[in-house]
Amino acid sequence: MTSGVSWAGLSARLLGPNRAHAGAAALLFAVLFLVLIWPLLNVVAVGFMTTDGRFTTEYLRLVLGDPLLLGGLLKSTLIALGTTCVALFLALPLAVLASRYDFPGRALLSSLLLVPMVLPPFVGAIGTRLLLGRFGPLTQIFGDETGRGVDWLGSLRIFGVVAVEAFALYPIILLNLQAALANVDPMLERAAANLGASRWQVFWRVTFPLVRPGLFAGCTLVSIWSFTELGTPLMFHVYDVTPVQVFIQITELDNPLAYALVVVMLTCSTALYAVGKLTLGRSKRTVASKAASQSVARRLSGARAALACVPFLLVLSLALLPNISVVLTSLSATGAWYRSLIPREFTTSHYFAALNDELVMPSLADGAQQLGAVGNSIVYAGAATAIGVVIALGVALVVVRSEVPFRGALDLMSMLPLAVPGLVMAFGYLSLSVQFKRALGDATPAWLDVQRFPVVLLVLAYAARRLPYVVRSAAAGLEQVPRDYERAAANLGANAARVLWRIVLPLIGASVLAGALMAFVFAMLEVSDSLILAQSAEFFPITRAIWELSQRLGDGLYVASALGVWAMVLLTLTLVLAGALLGRRLGAMFRV
Amino acid sequence: MFALSRTYVWLVAFAGVLFLPFALRGCLGGTEAQSGIARGESTLTLRIITPHNQDIRRAFEPAFSDWHREHYGQPVAITYLSSGGTNDIVRYLDDLYGTYRDASGALLPEGLVNSGIELVWGGGDYTFERSFKPLLKPLNIPEELIAEAFPKRDLAGVPLLDPTAGPLGPRWVGIVLSSFGIIHAPEFYDVLKLPAPQTWTDLARPELRGLVALADPTRSGSAAMIYMMVLQRAMAAAEHSWLDENPESARLTSDQLEQLASYQQALGRGWKEGMRVLLLMAANARYFTDSGSRPCSDVGDAESAAGVAIDFYARVFQEQIGARRITYHAPRGATAITPDPIGVLYGTLGEREVLANRFVTFLLTPEAQRLWNLDSGQSPYVPRSLRRMPVRRDVYADRHGWADDENPFELAEGFNLRQRWMRQLGRLIPVWAAAWIDTKPGLDAAYRAVLEVPERERRERLLFELSDLPIEFREVIEKRPAAAAGSAATLDPRLSAARERMALGERFRRHYSAILAQARGAG
Repeated sequence: MTSGVSWAGLSARLLGPNRAHAGAAALLFAVLFLVLIWPLLNVVAVGFMTTDGRFTTEYLRLVLGDPLLLGGLLKSTLIALGTTCVALFLALPLAVLASRYDFPGRALLSSLLLVPMVLPPFVGAIGTRLLLGRFGPLTQIFGDETGRGVDWLGSLRIFGVVAVEAFALYPIILLNLQAALANVDPMLERAAANLGASRWQVFWRVTFPLVRPGLFAGCTLVSIWSFTELGTPLMFHVYDVTPVQVFIQITELDNPLAYALVVVMLTCSTALYAVGKLTLGRSKRTVASKAASQSVARRLSGARAALACVPFLLVLSLALLPNISVVLTSLSATGAWYRSLIPREFTTSHYFAALNDELVMPSLADGAQQLGAVGNSIVYAGAATAIGVVIALGVALVVVRSEVPFRGALDLMSMLPLAVPGLVMAFGYLSLSVQFKRALGDATPAWLDVQRFPVVLLVLAYAARRLPYVVRSAAAGLEQVPRDYERAAANLGANAARVLWRIVLPLIGASVLAGALMAFVFAMLEVSDSLILAQSAEFFPITRAIWELSQRLGDGLYVASALGVWAMVLLTLTLVLAGALLGRRLGAMFRV
Repeated sequence: MFALSRTYVWLVAFAGVLFLPFALRGCLGGTEAQSGIARGESTLTLRIITPHNQDIRRAFEPAFSDWHREHYGQPVAITYLSSGGTNDIVRYLDDLYGTYRDASGALLPEGLVNSGIELVWGGGDYTFERSFKPLLKPLNIPEELIAEAFPKRDLAGVPLLDPTAGPLGPRWVGIVLSSFGIIHAPEFYDVLKLPAPQTWTDLARPELRGLVALADPTRSGSAAMIYMMVLQRAMAAAEHSWLDENPESARLTSDQLEQLASYQQALGRGWKEGMRVLLLMAANARYFTDSGSRPCSDVGDAESAAGVAIDFYARVFQEQIGARRITYHAPRGATAITPDPIGVLYGTLGEREVLANRFVTFLLTPEAQRLWNLDSGQSPYVPRSLRRMPVRRDVYADRHGWADDENPFELAEGFNLRQRWMRQLGRLIPVWAAAWIDTKPGLDAAYRAVLEVPERERRERLLFELSDLPIEFREVIEKRPAAAAGSAATLDPRLSAARERMALGERFRRHYSAILAQARGAG
């Protein structure tokens, strides 16, 4: 088949069949390099340079030769595997129940199942810590025989980490499974049953292989997330895991080992990702083709319907505890939640304090010049979402619709933020700003200088960090839309832009919008970038305000919780809205 | 149609929640801006990078602006910058000034440097000495003011302003003091049937395993001072008894004493004893944190029984939730009191430099110093008391309207941190980090196993052996041996530091494993 290689043939092969696609892909590579790879390289380079600027692999070798750090990697992997298994165990029955049966309250319960994902930072952790306090609500329920309380945090350790992470992350597997189950053609299952297969055989031999891609997608995401999770192990005093080791070393100054360790962690996360991706890639078609007929949910009523609600209520009653704890903290009088199941005294004053705080709300006296953290966050997250949508749409089009070589690499690059610790990316952007200053001197425009106007870098950082969700959502939308419509439009003389505008966008609009909502919400709750890049109060976003408030003496933690509750309600509504717009396809967003 | 309308309901709800705070704010009316600068008034601007909290930032901006207007006719607007905590600021300034260095790594002539920030304020003297000082320029403030504010340039051996100030003036001055004290939960102590802790060594009792909230010496200079104090006290006790045994040596100078082998051995024994107590404290530690508030909230919630805390955090908690839940105690003569400084950044020239120095001058005036501890509402600048201790000794004479009645200059009496012995701190911190933090799981496992040994005599012997770390005083004070020839470590100090800490970690980890095996062996 391969005749002599001509220059034209070679360039055609390198560029792909369509030069416009190749050009778009090259541009996207450049953009992703600028917003993802460059900041990352800036940071990890420290782990490969001696003090006098020469390249070295000594730090890497030290990391790989240190039993403490290797032990950390092993323990992190165990946590990732444990969390994924428990989350799967929680999500699987719920997904099957929600997609195969219909019963009163199903929609509400399904929506509530997603709420654990929207726990605001800092106060969420404090809420969980309160629940698991030595004399906290859990001890009040189970009783305290010794009078010395129960040291849940100190004794549960790695098991506590796995449990808390699994209850926070199961929604990702749930969403993926629901989407995958919805796409299974019921005719296949019926055919198997007709041929004499038992229910178990049908599930194991027909359904399971068909939902496997969705399953692996959810599991991969959960395992990467729990592998790089920092807050939960810190809470349970588990310090010998990689993310905590990185965090401690990175916050101590002048410790280059941290950056070498980041590279090791990145390699492991990428390996986890690649495993999921490869497994998924093989059966891509199964998911991409829509079922010929929709499965009809079996309607349950009476005792059976009540029975179906039980697992939902069981999981919810545990999974929503941290969220409930944040709400109760925001309503508790200062210090009144102690040795009791719920606070002993309630107040709404923290909400008024939050509303009156100049960090949180716009300063009226200064006119419209300062938006306050609430206004800032909305602007930043909105702009980041818009940028994210444009980039993600481009990436999704190239990956799904073009034959450009290396499009897989583009896909992989856009998923990178999932595997990189937020702190590392934030340092990367900070160092980027300094490099501009180095290159341009006093001529540096304000928008490249975090000191003077961090908004542009902050928005780019937000956009980059939440890119994977929008890419997945747009790609999932594209995969479900037959290409024939676009071809027909093109045949009728529409140019590419017109096809995109009139055919593609209206068809995948709901997917993109839902992805955009998700990106918007997570951008509003982004931690590291907000802490490191927003340096002066006029630019603080909401997460930075929550952090500042929680540092304040006195009522700080409670006011921060009040702000957190507002964020939580907004986030929940966003998820519900995304669900309403997208239905079961919501799960496609989390597909890797 | 129905589905669509339901989506609209959600959309409206979403928009409603999004804009609710703005609507409520509009109804409630906002607070007045605090700067007090009239519209159209010509204003100077000052940019300060600081880890200080919102309350401190809010208090000193209008106070300085008003003072400046009164003295120089113009108000000042301050922009506070902070890139997270103290260490994030260090990293940022290092990065930023990295752009103004020549090939040899030296800073460019001042005229070519413009970081855009005039002052760095707060972060502790340790950070100033270690990280900020090379980026600071001599302060240009009236000498009489320095003499008035600092009649003695140190407090119990801790310098209150730049100890190596040249003829041009100090590069930093302390503005406010912070001290670490002991917090404990009296209710919880009653349950544990323990007497209230009085000194640091009370935190080493085995009954407190897993119940002590400690501060991280690698990330907090003041925390490192506490551990140094425990160590120096033990060394001073050993020196004292050696001098009792050798009365004829009392006439010798410190340099002469240090030449004597028996004196060095005695110091080494004291050092060992101090390290032993510290290790038992570390074994009791629930964690080593760099958060000022976490130990307070943990002890307040009886999550930990005791801990170390910075004075002002602890006092606020005690006031809020009551002394039965958290009590703060500053051990007299054993409290690590350190200054929190300010300095003018290199490259600040001309009028910017003048204004920056005026800010420092203002902070050292008695009226600004009093703001640090005035009770809530005693001044329009401090709606919520800052509860911190001013650095000027003379302002303590009149504590009318203050929130606290403690005088750090009295608290620190009776014990001096010896500067001569302070030199080992730089070498000690990696040792502590390796023994307490890097290998904490191993330490915890061995400690637990030892405490579970039923026979008292064996348990106590094993406890002694566990706390007897395989490291000697000599190793810490002697010049470190050159790194292995031919390796990159000879060229790269960071690499050799990383190697050394890792080797120490491995040494201690083996020590803990050996004790664990012994404890379990006949258990």
